[in-house]
Amino acid sequence: MALWFLRGLRRGVITTRYPARADDSATALPTPPAFRPEALTRELADRLCLVCPSWALTRNGDVLFFDAGACTACGRCREMAPEAVTTSGEFELAATNPAHLVKRIPLLGEGSS
Amino acid sequence: MTALQQDPGLPGLLSLLGHDAPAGDGPVVTVSLAAADLETAVRRLSAAPGARLADVFGSGGNPAIDGDPVIVRMVWGLDSDRRYLITESVIEGDRYPALSDIVPAAFAEECEIYEQFGIRPAGGKPLNRVALPPQAGPDFPRLGRAPAEQPADVHAPHVVGGQAFEFPFGPVRQAGVESLYYGLVTSGEEVVDLYLLTWHKHRGVEWRMRGRTPREALFQVERAEGLGAVGSGWAFAAATETALQVQPPDQALRTRAIALELERLYNHAAATAALCQSTGLAVGQAAAEIALERLLRLNAATFGHRYLFGVIDIGGTRSGPDAAALRRELPGAYGELRRAADALLGTNSFLDRLEATGILTPEAARRLGLVGPVARATGLAVDARADHPAEPYAGHPPVVATGEGGDVLARFRVMLAEAAESVRLIGDLLEAGAGPGRADLPDDVISRTGPSGNTGRTGLGWAESSRGEALAWVSLDDGGRITRARLRPASVRNWRGFDDACRSQNVFTDIPIIEASFWLTVAGTSR
Repeated sequence: MALWFLRGLRRGVITTRYPARADDSATALPTPPAFRPEALTRELADRLCLVCPSWALTRNGDVLFFDAGACTACGRCREMAPEAVTTSGEFELAATNPAHLVKRIPLLGEGSS
Repeated sequence: MTALQQDPGLPGLLSLLGHDAPAGDGPVVTVSLAAADLETAVRRLSAAPGARLADVFGSGGNPAIDGDPVIVRMVWGLDSDRRYLITESVIEGDRYPALSDIVPAAFAEECEIYEQFGIRPAGGKPLNRVALPPQAGPDFPRLGRAPAEQPADVHAPHVVGGQAFEFPFGPVRQAGVESLYYGLVTSGEEVVDLYLLTWHKHRGVEWRMRGRTPREALFQVERAEGLGAVGSGWAFAAATETALQVQPPDQALRTRAIALELERLYNHAAATAALCQSTGLAVGQAAAEIALERLLRLNAATFGHRYLFGVIDIGGTRSGPDAAALRRELPGAYGELRRAADALLGTNSFLDRLEATGILTPEAARRLGLVGPVARATGLAVDARADHPAEPYAGHPPVVATGEGGDVLARFRVMLAEAAESVRLIGDLLEAGAGPGRADLPDDVISRTGPSGNTGRTGLGWAESSRGEALAWVSLDDGGRITRARLRPASVRNWRGFDDACRSQNVFTDIPIIEASFWLTVAGTSR
């Protein structure tokens, strides 16, 4: 067992300093999408809702609802419409109320209303 | 029919079944068998040394169509022939020959077919509950018709007599461990018998895939067994590509193989950490988990996802590897695992717990159709990368690691040898050139028909995941949507060897060690 004790001492502490300091690996991880309202139309919003495999997107009238709690950051929406969807870079998604994870995105694209 | 002394090869096997040799040299041969001939055929195939039962599943049996028959398919791995043989039998009525009387390894699938399609093997033997929960009434979503009666809740009718008693454990066991119920029969310390209930985690993944396009369904395939996302995803994508007759670009196939080897590396590191945890070696566990974390970060840096989700696509891959990050980080991450493993192999108190624990014999592994490191540790060299080589493994063949003894230590050594081989393969594949790429999927797939021997738009796919051979079979309708998808991760086959391994002169505290060495998932088997 002395072998393991000495190995542990030699290796030192390697745990991450997060959240006191940003973690390097976070930048490599997929993050939920961010939407550009001025590029979103009703037609495009409907196509985005269809392509989302985890039902994180729904449209009601001229508003696109995005549930960050249901999103798996798969990137299919960004792949389909790069002009309207970008990566948010946001990975700290904890919330005390699930409703706070649902975002309202107005559809401001040409011909949306 | 007496047992054959020599492997008769595919033509010999087909002539035993009354079929001619196949016209082409494709890797999958499909033949039809009348239900009346099924028993004889299975008896002949199971007696042939070159045939290994890989899967049994049902399709059809639509309750909305009166009298729609169930089709029972058996997948046989003809490993020395480098081919798979699929037999298709249309079952009229609700009885078919009892296959598990001839091939015991078919019992779990007989139970599953009963729960999902309502047909049962002749003879009236009791069937277990393997997939659907007890509250599954006639209206519960299932693939076919509901069975006339509920299956039994236990492994089999067994008598606990003498000094033995049954010790229930699970399904909630400890934080972070999957739901699994152990029925332990013991006389105090020794494991007399063990049965498992896995239905707590059933999510109806195969049912949910019906009606979806293969690309939509791939999302669920990757999540059916998260620790095997690449293996299952590749098998499913390959099955679809066979059905659609498309061929992914070579560089995309090499990308898939790099992701698959990375998946093998992190799974073997995780199994090493679990072995340390189960033997109470906390410092060794921390050392292995450092290696595991570095490998997961390497996955994220290479493909953008720690568990490699989203790499596979139908017809190719959705992304290519970050070759610079992989070349820079892999030696350090693997070196971490190697250093931990070398220290473990020099720790007698650790090795003592592994040696002669959870022994499986090669005969048991062959009889139960086990795959992956569990089978290879008994000395059986079954590896889909070598036995059924498809690109890129045909051009980059792996050295298949086998062990002796079939105990936990043999499985640990096989995993370490495979990890080293994965690192070599990743280097070779990067050298050959890997990147993203997708074949064009046909817009008009309606008029396409399969090659000779295949019936229309169906396909079988396979990949050697970290746990062993993963299979997938799909059937597509005229619009390109899934009518039936069968997922058979390696966990499905290898759990049936777990109770045998636990019974072999082991005590209670050996069970977590054996479970870590099998490194299976409940999610994969109960999907």
